[in-house]
This record gives sequence, C-alpha cells and structure tokens, in this order.
Amino acid sequence: MGRGEAGLTAEASATHAAAPAPRRRRRLKLATPALLGLPLGWLVVFLVVPAVIVALYSVNELSLFPGPHSFALGGWYRLFHAGYLQLFWKSTEMSLIVSALVVGAAYPLAYFLALSGTRRKYVLLLLLIAPFLTSYLLRVLAWKVILGDTGVINTFLVWTGLQAKGHALSFLLYSRFAVMLVLGYVWLPFVALPIFVTLESLDQRLLEAASDLYASRMQAFLRVTLPLSLPGVVAAFLFVFIPTVGEFVTPSLVGGTGGYMYGNQIVDLFETGFPDWETGAALALFLIGVIAVLTVVFVRFLRVGEARTA
Amino acid sequence: MDVALSANGRRTMRVFFALVIVFLYAPIVILVIFSFNKASVPTFPLSGFTLHWYHEFLKNGDMQAALQTSAIVATISSIIAVALGVLASIGLSRSRFRGKGLVTTLVLVPLVVPLIVLGISLLLLFHVLGVQPSILTIMVGHVVISLPYTVLILMPRLQQIDSSLAEAAYDLGAGPLTTFRRVTLPLILPAVISALLVAFTTSFDEYAVASFLAGPQPTFPIFLYSALRFPSQLPQVIAVAVVVITLTISVIVAAEVWRRRVEARLETA
Amino acid sequence: MDVEGEPFDRRLSRADMLRLAALAAGAGVVAGPAAAADAAIARLTKESGRLQVMDWAGYGNDGGQAMFAAYVQKYPHNKPQFASPMTNETNAYGRIRAGAQPDVFRPYVGWVKFFAQSGLVQPWNPKLISNFDHLNPFMVKAGQYGGKQYGIPDDWGFDAILYRSDKVHPKANSWGLLFDERYKGKIAWFDDLEMITIAGLYLKAKNPWNQTQTELNRSVNFLKSKKHVARMNWSSETDLWQAFGSGEIWIAYAWPNDWVQMKKKKLPVVYMHPKEKPIAWVGMFMLLKNSPRPHLAHAYVDAWSSKRSGKWLEDNYGYGHANIEAKPSSSQLLKALQLANPKAVTLPNAYLDRDIRQRSTYANLWEEVKRA
Repeated sequence: MGRGEAGLTAEASATHAAAPAPRRRRRLKLATPALLGLPLGWLVVFLVVPAVIVALYSVNELSLFPGPHSFALGGWYRLFHAGYLQLFWKSTEMSLIVSALVVGAAYPLAYFLALSGTRRKYVLLLLLIAPFLTSYLLRVLAWKVILGDTGVINTFLVWTGLQAKGHALSFLLYSRFAVMLVLGYVWLPFVALPIFVTLESLDQRLLEAASDLYASRMQAFLRVTLPLSLPGVVAAFLFVFIPTVGEFVTPSLVGGTGGYMYGNQIVDLFETGFPDWETGAALALFLIGVIAVLTVVFVRFLRVGEARTA
Repeated sequence: MDVALSANGRRTMRVFFALVIVFLYAPIVILVIFSFNKASVPTFPLSGFTLHWYHEFLKNGDMQAALQTSAIVATISSIIAVALGVLASIGLSRSRFRGKGLVTTLVLVPLVVPLIVLGISLLLLFHVLGVQPSILTIMVGHVVISLPYTVLILMPRLQQIDSSLAEAAYDLGAGPLTTFRRVTLPLILPAVISALLVAFTTSFDEYAVASFLAGPQPTFPIFLYSALRFPSQLPQVIAVAVVVITLTISVIVAAEVWRRRVEARLETA
Repeated sequence: MDVEGEPFDRRLSRADMLRLAALAAGAGVVAGPAAAADAAIARLTKESGRLQVMDWAGYGNDGGQAMFAAYVQKYPHNKPQFASPMTNETNAYGRIRAGAQPDVFRPYVGWVKFFAQSGLVQPWNPKLISNFDHLNPFMVKAGQYGGKQYGIPDDWGFDAILYRSDKVHPKANSWGLLFDERYKGKIAWFDDLEMITIAGLYLKAKNPWNQTQTELNRSVNFLKSKKHVARMNWSSETDLWQAFGSGEIWIAYAWPNDWVQMKKKKLPVVYMHPKEKPIAWVGMFMLLKNSPRPHLAHAYVDAWSSKRSGKWLEDNYGYGHANIEAKPSSSQLLKALQLANPKAVTLPNAYLDRDIRQRSTYANLWEEVKRA
C-alpha cells in the first residue's frame, strides 16, 4: 500500500481515462453518407446523364444522321402541333380508367386480407401476387386466346345459347377494351400490395373505439379506415398509372387499330417507318415530365394528408 | 364482434376474392392447357394431347441459350442492385445530412420512369458512347430498374433492427466492415434474400428495356416476343413458360415462408 | 477492306504460295479441292471469326439453317452468328449507326438506294458468287445503284390480299377489298407506311411511291376515313395467322407464305392478284463497308443463292427465290405464286417495290393515320 498501490490505482485510472479519448477522436460514423457514393454514381451515369442525352436529341444537338446539325425545336414543335397531344390524352385517359378500376378492385381484396383476421393472410396475399411474377408476354398471349372470336368467352356464349353462332363479340379483342382489360389484369396483383401494407398497420383499436362510440362499420370505414389508408391508395394508384401511361407492349399485341397508344408512337418514331429520333426524344421527355409533375403533386398531397391525420 | 367486417361482408369478400383468383389464374391455366395441345398456333378447338413441345424445348438450343442469358443477366444485375441497395439503405437510414430528401428521391426515381423512356435513354447513352448493345448493357438497365425495389425492401428492415447492436459492436472495437459482416448482415439477411429474389424475377421477365438494349444474345423475354412474331417456336415457348412459371412460384413461395420464419426467429432471439 | 477485283490480283509472295499449297493440300484431304481453295484463300486473307449476320426472324438458326447449310459445311470455323433479328430496316439502320457491326444484313428492295447512299455498305463482287449468273436478271438489276451491285437478291414475293373465299362474295379482285365497308371489322391492314403507297395505288396516283402533296392528302384522308373497317394493323405474322385461324379476320394484306400457312390449316383462302397490280418485293443482301470478312460474306450469300437453298425456301416458306433454276416440289405452289414466271416481279405482272424519296413524310403520314 502506499505509493505502490497508489501508483497502481493511478495507473489504472490513467488508462481508463486515456482509453476512450483516442477512440472518440478516431471514431467514424458507422453510416456515413459516403456509402451513397456508389449507388448515386450509378444512377447519375445511367439515369441522369441519359435523360440529358434524350433532351439533347430532342433539340437536335445530337442526331442519328451524320453531317452537320444544330439546335432546332422541330421535334417539340411537332409534339405540340401534329396531333401527338391528342394521342397522349387518349393514353392518359385509358390509364386513368384502368388505374381507378384496378385500385377499386384491389382495395376490397387488401381489406379482406388485412382486416378480416384470416390466419392465412400471407399465404393468400402470396397467392394473389404470384401471377405478377410470371411471364408478362405469355399472359397477354393467353388473353388473346380467351378474348378471340373463337376464344373461350365467345365459344362459351355460343355453347350456352346466349349468342348466335357467327356473331361473336368482336370488341373483346383488338380494341381499346382489350388493352384496358389486359393492363388491369397485369397490374391488379401488384396494386393490392401497398394497400395491404397500409391497412395491416392500421391500429384496430381505432375501429374498436369507433364501434364503442356506436359508429356502424360503414361509418367506421369511411371516417377511420379509408382516410388512414389513403397514402396506400395513392401509392397503389401511382404504381399502376405510371407504367401504363407509357405502355407499348400490350397495345401492340391486343390493341388493334383502336388501341394505338402513346408508347407505341414513341417506339414507332425510333424503330419503324423512318427514324425520327428528334421527335421521339421530345415525346419521351414530355411523358417523363408529366409523370414527374403528377408524382410531386401526389406526394405533396400525401404529406399534407399525413400531417392532417397525425 | 368483428369491427372491420360483418358476417355478410366477410362472405361477400371471400367470394369476391375467389373470383379474382380465378380471374388471375385463368390465363395461366390456359397456357398450361395449350402447352399440351397438338396444334402449333393456340386457337380453340383443341387438337389433341401431346408432350411433344416439352421434348422440343429440351432440344431447342436457342431457347436454352436465351434462358441461360436471362439467368446470367438476372443473377449479376440482382447482385449488383442489392449491393448498391444495401449501401444506399445504410447510408439513408442511419445518417442525417442535407439533401437527404433529394438523394432518396433520386434512388426511388426509376420507379416512376416508364420503361420505354428508360430503354430509349439508355439506348441513346450507349449510342453516344459507342458502346455496342450486349448483355452488359441489359444488366445496366436492369440494375437501374431494380435498385428502388431493393432499397424499399432493405430500408424498413434496417430501421427495424436495433441500431444499438451495431453501435455496441463498434464500441467494442470492431471495425465498420466487421460490424457489418458479423452484426448487420446476419440481421438483414432475410431482407437481402428477398431483395435478391425480387431483383432477379424483375430482371428475368423484363422485356421493354431489354428490347432496346439487347445485343446478339437475346434474353428469354426477347426470345418470347420474337416467337410471338414468328410462330414456329410458339408451342415450345408456351411449354417453357409453364415450366418457368411453376418454378418461379415455387421458389418465391418457399423463399417467403423461409424469410418469415427466420425473421420471426431473429425477433425472439 | 475493299473487295472489288482485289485479292486475285494481289501478288503472292513465295512464302504465301507455299502456305497456300500447304493449306490446300491439308484442306483438300478433308473437303475437296474447291473448298480447299476457298478455305485457303480465306485463311490467307486472314478473315477469321464467325460471320456476323443481321437477318429477319426465321432466317437464322431459328429455322433457316437449310439456306446456309452449304456455307457452314465449307467454313465450320466461321459459322454465322446471328444478331437479334431485324424487325425492319429502320431498326437495322439505327443499330448499325449506333455501332453494330454485322458483316451482312438484308434490307428489302425499296431500301437499296437509301443504304447505298448512306455510306454504310460496299458493293458486292459478283465474280465471287458462283450462283450469280443463275439469279433473275430483273431482280439483279433492282439491286444495283450507280452501276454497282449493292444488293444480291434472294427471296421474293408479293404484297397482295389474302381472303376467305367462303366469306367474301362475290370474288374480289381489287385492292379496294381492304377498304370494303361490307366486311367491316374483319379486315387487317399492314402496319407499315406501305399502306400509304397502297392507298395511292388504289386511288390511281401517278406514282404511288412518290405522290404529290395533293395525292398524299387524298391517300391519308382516305385511309383515315376507312380506318374503322380495319380491325388490326398486323406487324408480326403470328398475329395474322392467329387472327385468320380463329376467324377474327377474313381479309388481310398478306404475303405468299401467309397463304401457304392458312391452306395448311385447311382454311378456304384465296391469294388475290389485284387488278391494280400487286406490289412485288425482293430481299437484298448487303455487305457492310468495313466488314473484316468480305470473302466469307460472299461465300455465305453464294450458299443462299444456290438452287438447293432456293428449292428449300420455296417448299418451306412459300416465297420465291431469285435463282431461276429453283423449283418447288409442288406444282400447285409453282402456279399459284407464279414461281416459274421470270418476270413475275415487274410490269405487267406487278409493281416492284422501290425507293421512296419522301420516306420520312410517308412515315409521318402513316403514324398520323394510326393516331386518328
């Protein structure tokens, strides 16, 4: 005891005091923003730069054809004056209808899965989503077989006598109807997911409270569930609206002459007839511009909605 | 008393759900039926049972090459997408910095870009750079498409696990990489696997972007589309599709079940 | 690497001669003298690697192998490698401009002038193609530009109308059937600016391939007014065959092969020869300017141009072949498709498809019709 001990204790406390200090100095943040460098870099090179290039093609600063070329607004002029906007509106209208119908159909499904208390809800959800994971092109082909003049539906109608032979329902295939039906079919499973997620996280006690306060189920739904699930609904709507506005595969397979859509027009400008990359680029930029605006508006709406219900 | 659904409501919903399931699976059943059909163009009436197309597909080198190409593209692009997604998710979930909202938006933007615009913009990029379309260019496109999905799957999981675990490991002297490898990664592994599967299936079935960026080796969807254009291959293609569909669904179901089990176990641990 | 008149004139050094002899001897043991010489020359001029071919669907390893089987036999080390199929000439042009480097590709006769002028292709050396002299002279001429042979013709056929004889009464013989109100909803047009040309042909424009502004306005307005009778614009033959086979379509713009296929399904169909005359098309092989394998390319096209390949094409795809000695097995086919008529593709029998000077205008107008 004496100096020895004191020395020891002093030493011990000295190490204790010394140890944390160097570590604190060296300490890096575990989750530094620098981690984002690689993913951001990828997106800048393969998303932002290409967008800029599309813009340059749309104003003829870059061109498919060799030889001199300079800034020109021909592509944009044609976009606004050669009937492309009517086609855009037609496509948007179709997408809006499809999206509304699909969300309308998906909501009850998600509601049933999330709130009815079935024990097998995840299995059923998976069952619902599984078709979405199968080959898109072949499901479209299968619909051609179902909707055709001698397809499943028409032959069934003839067999049951509801329809005279030779008077097939021809609006079923190669029409706007076919495009909307198939697009709705393709996206329905996917759309149920965000609604399900939102409804699942709904606090059931709120509904119980509403019931305690003598609200009917319908009232509880309208005033509690629906408003709270709105973000999921909006997300679902965007999930289907955005891809379908620019769709070109389904319209080309089942659209016929009436189902020609904006996406097909863009492909045609690049790939058929005679290449017109300038106008095609303008159309593509216009599409992404409109979608960007819509997305921002919806997201704002969501934030406001959240703030209000919070 | 059920506060969300009445007894009638529940019955109606069940019927509606069943109808929707029939609606969703009918075309798939049609495909299965036609994969055994004798005729070479799928029209009613049926012309007889045969396993011929399944045999043909096993001999069809081009189709197998396309399947192989799709598998390669899907595997590599999903690995890259998940790697980038992990980095992005960790970066976004744990730190605060200016412009975080902007970065989050950028990472999620591919979700709102129509595939046709994505395909064309990348086509133009490669055109300008003089890069020939090949499986590499398709991979690039698929990573861009899958990245938001991986982030959307990984972020919630990262936010869910207790960050103090990683902090503790770090305080005990583990470097950032070791911390990641031995603490974070095992905890997010189920989500990583999910993300890999989502990215893989997205890439495997993707047609629109691949159609713009494909070189001499077609992916399976591109092969499918040209089979739809040139009919001699169509019946075999349908047979393959049935096989692929069955496999996909089985894998996804198995993976989901596994993921939930593992996560539940990790919770109780 | 320019091909015209070249390697045979090249002076061979002594070492080259020895090498050539050795190769010829070795190759000769395996494949015979002619093949040996070819192979030796190819090796000598250092063409290596697989021949890069950009062709249409069905003409590669996805069904067309018989057409170039002879080439594969001779050059097993330079087997053709097929890029993804060309969906149309615009697509091919875009890809080549973006840097794709096929050695050969196959646009159709209406594009010969466009590609010849584009600086992307080089003329062929007919002397290197043994079957050249057997090729139909009208078609050969159609492949020339500026006196040089830019395109080697191989397959040919018509654009005409296919219709169900049991549904269309009375028998029709005019392009007008595509616009006939009586069959509204049962008609399929072709998804291509050629519809503008056909409208012009039907409306008696002076030169349907180069219509005046007035004629173009008339054609476009006509098509827009008749659009409702057309149920679909087909671009892939599968679509057409499926629609025809299931009875959705009774009348369609079609090629001879489509008639062959519908007959195989036992449908009562007629391939019409319109009184305004059908349009004839010819597929033209073209050689890329900087191809590192020009000799192999010539050999490939030579295999394609043989009598045997021609017969296979006619028997299996129902298209004519430019080799006038190629005859199909079926005399019915021969008669129906006029395969024995060497002047089948020109007047007075048909209008040979040709360059469209205002192609971009035609393209815009067709898209306008589709948007309407």
